[in-house]
Amino acid sequence: MTQPLLEVQDLHTVFSTKEGWVKAVDGVSFELHPGETLGIVGESGCGKSVTALSIMRLQRPGLIKSGRVMFKGEDLTKATEAEMREVRGREIAMIFQDPMTSLNPVFRTGWQVAEPLRLHHGWNAKKSLTSAINMLGKVGIPSAVDRAEDYPHQFSGGMRQRVMIAMGLTTTPEVLIADEPTTALDVTIQAQILDLLRHVNQEFGTATILITHNLGVVAGMCKRIIVMYAGRIVEAGPTTDVFAHPKHPYTWALLRSIPRLDAERHEPLKPIDGLPPNLVDLPSGCAFHPRCAFKIEKCSRDVPALQRVGDTQLSACWVTQAGTELKGA
Amino acid sequence: MLAKYVARRFLASLVVVLGVTLITLVLMDRTRGTYVPGIDLNPALRPEDIARLRADLGLDRPFYIWYLTWIWGVVHGDFGRSMIDGSTVMSHILDRLPNTLELTGTAILIGIVIAIPVGVIGALRHGSKADHTLTVVSVAGFAVPQFWMGLILILIFSVTLEQHGLPWLPSSGAYSAVNGGDFIDRVEHLILPATVLSFFYMSTWSRFIRSSMLEVLSQDYIRTARAKGMSERRVVYLHGLRNALIPLVTLIGLELPGLVSGGLVVEVVFGWPGIGKLAFERALQYDYTTVMGVTFFATMLVIAGNLLADLLYGVLDPRIRYS
Amino acid sequence: MIGPSRVAELDMPGAAIEGASTRPAQSYWNESWERLRANRIGMAAGILILIFALIAILAPVFSAVLTHFQPQTIDLSQTFSPPGGKHLLGTDELGRDTLTRLIWGARVTLGVALLTVAVSLTVGTAVGMMAGYYGGWLDDLLMRLVDTVLAIPAIFLFILMSILFRPTPVSLALIIASVGWGQVARLVRGEVLSVKQRDFILATRSIGARHLRLMLRHLLPNVLPVLIVAASLGVGQIILIEAALDFLGLGIQPPTPSWGNQLTNAESYFFHSIWLVNFPGLLIFVTVLASNVFGNAIRDAFDPRLK
Repeated sequence: MTQPLLEVQDLHTVFSTKEGWVKAVDGVSFELHPGETLGIVGESGCGKSVTALSIMRLQRPGLIKSGRVMFKGEDLTKATEAEMREVRGREIAMIFQDPMTSLNPVFRTGWQVAEPLRLHHGWNAKKSLTSAINMLGKVGIPSAVDRAEDYPHQFSGGMRQRVMIAMGLTTTPEVLIADEPTTALDVTIQAQILDLLRHVNQEFGTATILITHNLGVVAGMCKRIIVMYAGRIVEAGPTTDVFAHPKHPYTWALLRSIPRLDAERHEPLKPIDGLPPNLVDLPSGCAFHPRCAFKIEKCSRDVPALQRVGDTQLSACWVTQAGTELKGA
Repeated sequence: MLAKYVARRFLASLVVVLGVTLITLVLMDRTRGTYVPGIDLNPALRPEDIARLRADLGLDRPFYIWYLTWIWGVVHGDFGRSMIDGSTVMSHILDRLPNTLELTGTAILIGIVIAIPVGVIGALRHGSKADHTLTVVSVAGFAVPQFWMGLILILIFSVTLEQHGLPWLPSSGAYSAVNGGDFIDRVEHLILPATVLSFFYMSTWSRFIRSSMLEVLSQDYIRTARAKGMSERRVVYLHGLRNALIPLVTLIGLELPGLVSGGLVVEVVFGWPGIGKLAFERALQYDYTTVMGVTFFATMLVIAGNLLADLLYGVLDPRIRYS
Repeated sequence: MIGPSRVAELDMPGAAIEGASTRPAQSYWNESWERLRANRIGMAAGILILIFALIAILAPVFSAVLTHFQPQTIDLSQTFSPPGGKHLLGTDELGRDTLTRLIWGARVTLGVALLTVAVSLTVGTAVGMMAGYYGGWLDDLLMRLVDTVLAIPAIFLFILMSILFRPTPVSLALIIASVGWGQVARLVRGEVLSVKQRDFILATRSIGARHLRLMLRHLLPNVLPVLIVAASLGVGQIILIEAALDFLGLGIQPPTPSWGNQLTNAESYFFHSIWLVNFPGLLIFVTVLASNVFGNAIRDAFDPRLK
């Protein structure tokens, strides 16, 4: 395998609340290879967005307590603010969930798309705008020359997300972090945006981290996925393997909660029992055990580590680590 | 679209103007009577002189004629003649207007220039000691009587400093009567009244910018701006402030009429020869035509200020469309 | 309610009333009260105002027991006595006791403020409710009237009126309220419009409730929180306006003492009798400050979203 482009090592990010410290990200490690698309999946509040923001060091008011984020041989958690500014928007770009609110309402779209070029390459207004219009065309904005003059509110949701993507790509970054890029959009538009992200990945070779709560989204996009629960990675592996043989009860339950074309017909859809955990007051042992159909006595006592289970997957589950298959009820 | 909007707003304003003149009408009806100030006290005036004076002022004509004449005059920019000195009310207004604009314009400008950084700092460090201190100052600025603050400043910077033989600031007028009127002299006279007035504006607007900025800084597009890799200063002062200032424009637009009326108390305290002081002095002398003329003039400014603020809002916020 | 409190109005989109009950639930009042009590600075300000109010009400008692002077007793042998001794806060140019005049001045100043608020709220609520409830041409008419009143620069209107109606405490309150009601009417109308949309009003209407009954029993309790907030934020501004008019000689006329008119000739006391400048001004400042702080506390208590 090639040298990883981005390597997150044992990342801990905490937030201070009235009730105490909340471990939003609790020992997360993964790597991202050049040109790859990696999926991070989990319910809202599982720490996937905070992980992404921590890579960019935009996790405020959260605090990176420990861990490393190695990017091209440097630890971003130790970089100065000035060094981080050179990374943000130039080498790692990020697009956000809600394109309605993520663009500044008072500036022209073209101006905003061109801004990273002015910031990072020092280009003048005209040169950067030409390049921005070019990029707007590439992400599928019709008559981009005219639309660049428009304000964000004059675009539809899908078009705004295209604008966001164009804004991330102007500086041809090496990593693109897409945080729930399709959640706020209509289903048909979702497919178009995913197509675009796939196309971008192929044309520019940009390594992409795709963060979503929607397993359907990662299925068609990512070779590898990571499943997070309560601030921790509970399962990781090649998408096809994880989908076919989930090695963590949470993944297993997630897969049963969504409709699948390849599912056996008699298997009904089942929502996951119980509620996502309260991060301030996590259950003892494995955080998932109160909702788990397979739990054994050990689960409520000891926290399982992420370990190899099977040939290609990693799982943090006492049950599967002991060799049990997840099946049935 | 815009022209249509302005036209409609203008028509709506006409209704208000009509209302204002109606109120003026009622007040005039109460006061018109037989009245010419001082006319009964002057033994030199013969009855025919009095009759002539009354005729000059139009007081011998029926009430509605009087009123229509007045309106007709106002439409042509003629607010009638003063009951005291017989010169036109317009000439009085034009005489005092520059002084008033000098004072209130300066105060509003200083108010904005100080309020913006103060409000932004309060928002950026909300909950900090600096924030609490600034909050206390602006709450005080909202509660202190302007005339009293003026008196205290005069006491300190004019009276006490002069008593101790230190350089002191003039406490009255817009320029020195003797050898005055140059730039330095005018600025010296301006300092104290402008301080009182701008202190009030500063307290009001800084609170407003603070809360507006707090809201803006929690918006998603601020996170987007940070993710682009720009300095925090650019995030706050370009992407943030540009949005936070939009509601402030409305507030300042509402303050435009204050250009004429807002400084009245301060003008009186500091003997500043402005429009507010004019209205005040003439009121004490029962010079109704002058007071009404000034009131009407200031009302027109209120209406214009509101319209201007709305239009400016549209320029600053591209989401606003006039319909 | 006048002038600067526009700011307060801008960030006050009406109090929060949860649920669709006919009137705010009892728990809503209890919770607001709890929040208010927890605000220690706000409560301190409220208590201070209460003390001032008590002093104003009991002014005869205080001047009899504490100062032993009458507010209008002239003693030309005692002019400009400095604070201390027989005259705790000194005397003025006619030898009248400053403290006594301040105590009696509280009566006038706070009384005028209270009456102004009462008149503004009553008229404003009536107009706002009618405009919002009936809508149509009546709404248009009343709101244009409000626009008109609010378009005249208040201070000029006050001057104009106070030379027409020689001010007594009551007429002064009416003069100030002649502008104050407009803001209240706007506020109440907006609130009524939003309350009117809720189902329970439609339901009550469909069972044939009479208009007046509907307004008094069902709408009024719902706009009450907004009124309380508006009133508590308005008091300070009214005191400032009243004091300014008194100072200008257009308000309460001497020899009746008010805090504002004791400063009318302040400039002539600079050199020898500074207490005559300091005490009335300080008193106005502290009172307005306390009522603003208390007003904000009430707003926070009734509408926690705005905190």
